[in-house]
Amino acid sequence: MGKKKQKVSLPPELPPEVPDEEIEVSDEDLQFVNENRDYAGFVSTLDTNSITRHVTRVADVKEDALESLYEKRFRKKSLDKEKEENGLEVDPVDALPVKTLDGKLYYRTVPKELKKSANEDEVTGDSEDDGADKSMVKLTKAEKRAKLKKLRKDAKKQAKEVPEVEEVQQTSQVDVLAEVKRDLTAEEANESKKYRLAELGTALLMDPESNIKSLKEMLQISKDGDRSIVILGLKSLLAVFKDIIPGYRIRLPTEKEQEMIISKTVKKMRFYESTLLSVYKAYLQKLIALEQQAVFQHVSFRCICTLLEAVPHFNFRESLLAAVIKNISSPDDVIRKLCCASIKSLFANEGKHGGEATVEAVKLIADLVKAHDCQLHPDSVEVLMSLSFDEDLGRPERSNADNKAKHKKFKKRKNVDEPSKLPDNAKKKNRKDLMSKTREEVLLLHENHLILKCAYSPLIFVDADFKAAYFAQVDADFKAASFTQDVMERRGMQSETLSAVFQTYFRILKHALQPRLEASSRELAGASGGPPLLAPCLNGIAKFSHLIDLDFMADLMSYLRRLAGGGSYADGSENCSKRLTVSERLRCCIVAFKVMRNNLDALNVDLRDFFVQLYNLILEYKPGRDQGEVLAEALKIMLCDDRQHDMQRAAAFIKRLATFALCFGSAESMAGMLYFFRDSMKKVFVPVLCNNNMRFSGTFVALVTLKHLLQKNVKCRNLLENDAGGGSLSGPIAKYQPYATDPNLSGALASVLWELNLLSKHYHPAVSTIASSISTISTVQNQVFHSIVSPQQAFTELSLEQESFNSNSDISKSKNKRKRGSGLTISASVGPDLDMTSQTDENEVRKKLSEHFLILRDITDNERLRGELDRTSLSLKLYEQYKKQKKKSTRTQ
Amino acid sequence: MRPLDEKETTQVFEKLFKFTGNNLKNIVESPSHEGPDSNPGRYCFRLNKNRVYYVSESLVKRATNIKRDNLVSLGTLIGKFTKNGSFHLTIQCLNLLAANAKHKVWLKPTSEMSVLYGNNVLKGGLGRITENINMGDGVVVFSMSDVPLAFGVAARSTQDCRKMEPNAIVVIIQADIGAYLRMEDEL
Repeated sequence: MGKKKQKVSLPPELPPEVPDEEIEVSDEDLQFVNENRDYAGFVSTLDTNSITRHVTRVADVKEDALESLYEKRFRKKSLDKEKEENGLEVDPVDALPVKTLDGKLYYRTVPKELKKSANEDEVTGDSEDDGADKSMVKLTKAEKRAKLKKLRKDAKKQAKEVPEVEEVQQTSQVDVLAEVKRDLTAEEANESKKYRLAELGTALLMDPESNIKSLKEMLQISKDGDRSIVILGLKSLLAVFKDIIPGYRIRLPTEKEQEMIISKTVKKMRFYESTLLSVYKAYLQKLIALEQQAVFQHVSFRCICTLLEAVPHFNFRESLLAAVIKNISSPDDVIRKLCCASIKSLFANEGKHGGEATVEAVKLIADLVKAHDCQLHPDSVEVLMSLSFDEDLGRPERSNADNKAKHKKFKKRKNVDEPSKLPDNAKKKNRKDLMSKTREEVLLLHENHLILKCAYSPLIFVDADFKAAYFAQVDADFKAASFTQDVMERRGMQSETLSAVFQTYFRILKHALQPRLEASSRELAGASGGPPLLAPCLNGIAKFSHLIDLDFMADLMSYLRRLAGGGSYADGSENCSKRLTVSERLRCCIVAFKVMRNNLDALNVDLRDFFVQLYNLILEYKPGRDQGEVLAEALKIMLCDDRQHDMQRAAAFIKRLATFALCFGSAESMAGMLYFFRDSMKKVFVPVLCNNNMRFSGTFVALVTLKHLLQKNVKCRNLLENDAGGGSLSGPIAKYQPYATDPNLSGALASVLWELNLLSKHYHPAVSTIASSISTISTVQNQVFHSIVSPQQAFTELSLEQESFNSNSDISKSKNKRKRGSGLTISASVGPDLDMTSQTDENEVRKKLSEHFLILRDITDNERLRGELDRTSLSLKLYEQYKKQKKKSTRTQ
Repeated sequence: MRPLDEKETTQVFEKLFKFTGNNLKNIVESPSHEGPDSNPGRYCFRLNKNRVYYVSESLVKRATNIKRDNLVSLGTLIGKFTKNGSFHLTIQCLNLLAANAKHKVWLKPTSEMSVLYGNNVLKGGLGRITENINMGDGVVVFSMSDVPLAFGVAARSTQDCRKMEPNAIVVIIQADIGAYLRMEDEL
């Protein structure tokens, strides 16, 4: 900005610029004239003579452009004047009306619009302001202040320059300089507004009570036509409000109270509060109005969200909340993130507002979900995950009811007792003593406080009754002073929140079940294909399910069961099971199990339907398409964690997993798998896996689960024996039916796990070792096996082995290369493979290597010998031929 | 020995359906693996002296040779018609039910004996229970090691089971394998 001022002080440089700029903006001006007919009227009555006189003075302007140029110049001059009046707060006497030639007086009727147009003309200034603005966004308060100070200095400098400019104006080049002045004054006006804003803001922050009136002025400034000024105004107001809003909710005095005679300080206080409140209200209204305009959207949202985070206890929280939640699933990423973050912080910092805002927010979200028919962005329900409830909320009703009952009883007894006035004084006293004792217990926390008070109080405790009364009073005082929240109230609020949350969740579940037009759901859900809110909803249910009432459980489970995709349900579900992806259905199963596990300590419920679902889903699973983690989690939760299983079912799962392992063992991406090998080992054993190693780890997870199942179900081990038919255990189903949908009816016990034999020849050592170890389970002593192998242990052993083997691996790698060298193609990726072979295998490898080398040596020896043989036989032949020839020659001779 | 008539068939099927649900289809349609016939037939229901038997077709063919009065039993006895004309399942059908059961209850080892003496299943003895049982559904009772022990009718739904006190009745037993010893003569 300093540079600009320098430019202003050198007038001779400016004139060449003028025509260009004028032509640039002339269109806009034409438009302006059209829009403001009544104002432009005086243009027609201009003194053309005087203008032509001016024209003669200006040499380097083209003739045809001149007229319009001067028209405009004239108008602008008047505008500038006005702006000076507004911006610099000059005396209103200066703002004289314009008297035209025919004697009419023109008052400025539309000063705001004029100003706006002037500002629009000043393009350069605007853009610079924008730049300043963007930087302002990230400034802290301190930096902001520093910047404001600088601005002020600049403004002062400029003020000095103004008279200088005015002097220049009086010279012959008045008109050209008028242009300069226009630029200058517009800029100046902005500067002065900024300056004013800063001044007011700092004053307010220093002493809010005496300067409260200037809030209104700030608000007025922020209603300015200029974009940058508006934004600045909004932001500075935000900073001020954040600072001066009190820690309580303002209640305006009623009429009756206003009539009462009050002291000066109270009056002052009331005035302060009412002003603050009214300006705050106007500010919020402005923010909410501005949120509609694309230009101010982000700023206003930032302001709203910051306010909601900073002062959730204050008045007009409802409108803030409503504005935020309305946009919680806005298509604009920035706004949505802002809204979600502010709602989350609202949930996290319940101390600020005492939980009321949480209830309101959750209810609003519930209404939003209802209104939009569950077609929202997942984030809008995701925020509910950050809610926190007291752990004992699950059983507040009972204890509360108990308490209430007790209280009632107590009161009743009291009521009955006192009128009758039992003569049994001793009994009464006893009871009172008891009361005081309980109170004392309650007040244990406030002991220090009490002791202090006791020390200074003139009271002498003679009686326990007195003491009790005193304690009660102190308790009340303490509560009033410390704003401690009533436990009951808190519980009430939390249960209200919870009911709203579950209302939302149930609505989403229900909605997911409803058959809809395929096209519409696809459109809205995008890539995932399912209802958009289902995933966060399921997560939320899994998280909060322990708080739910048992009566809801049946409904919840039936919804989940239908979502998991039963074909046996009526027409609608058929549709929905097709719509949901495999991973979503798996997730439903997982959630059902989590819900059950959270709730059932006493009763062990067997979720048969979900097992059937899982059994069928294993077949539908495709490694690329579906999420491997979900499958692994499902297998872990449903098969590994659960203690007891039907034998039939376990056998069916074992068989199916073995088949599954066989299918997904076929690896197209061998190199990739080998690369991911180490990672996969870690993840699989947990067993959670990432997507990229899915093809292989699917097999591995299946095998790990299979092993688990076999270890637990001793009887199922006759799957490993080689007599098809399963003997006496096979039950009524004598033949394995691979296509059965119910694991109990598949007759898997009649089958043999031939898959393991194939898998033990798997190219991958981990798979092959685990497969062979599984197939030997039955031969190994049962107890020993149980004690030795747990997945975690196996994993740690394996990783240790890897560590120790790392040093050796290099050697073995190089050996490998040397050994097979030219003949066999071997990639370096076999190296890590060999890492896996255990220490005991090393000897074997060595032996094999030596055997190999022996054979190689034999072959070379053999070749050498054969070569010699050939050579000798050749020489013998040659010798014979030579002999024959010699004979011939001798004969001929 | 004769096939069941319409009314009897509905009675039998209704009873079985209470225990097996949609798995009833498996009972009727499962192929038999008895007899030397190359084409394994199916199982069918036959009535003899008010008793209902679940028999493979090949066995039925062979049994036609025997006079009705002399035929003591064939196939698996699954129940009998009382003098009133109502149908009761007997303990012999337990294996058939267990294989196709829809609702199951597993007993804790401690309460197995009590059930085998003919007592009902109490909540305290409940080891595990299938979800979604409603009141009045047929339930098959298993030991923890999946040996079928008895069958009966659910006295409470699974939901209600959670809130009950430990000595409330969960399953009313209709027949248990202890009956093989207790009522050896009658069976």
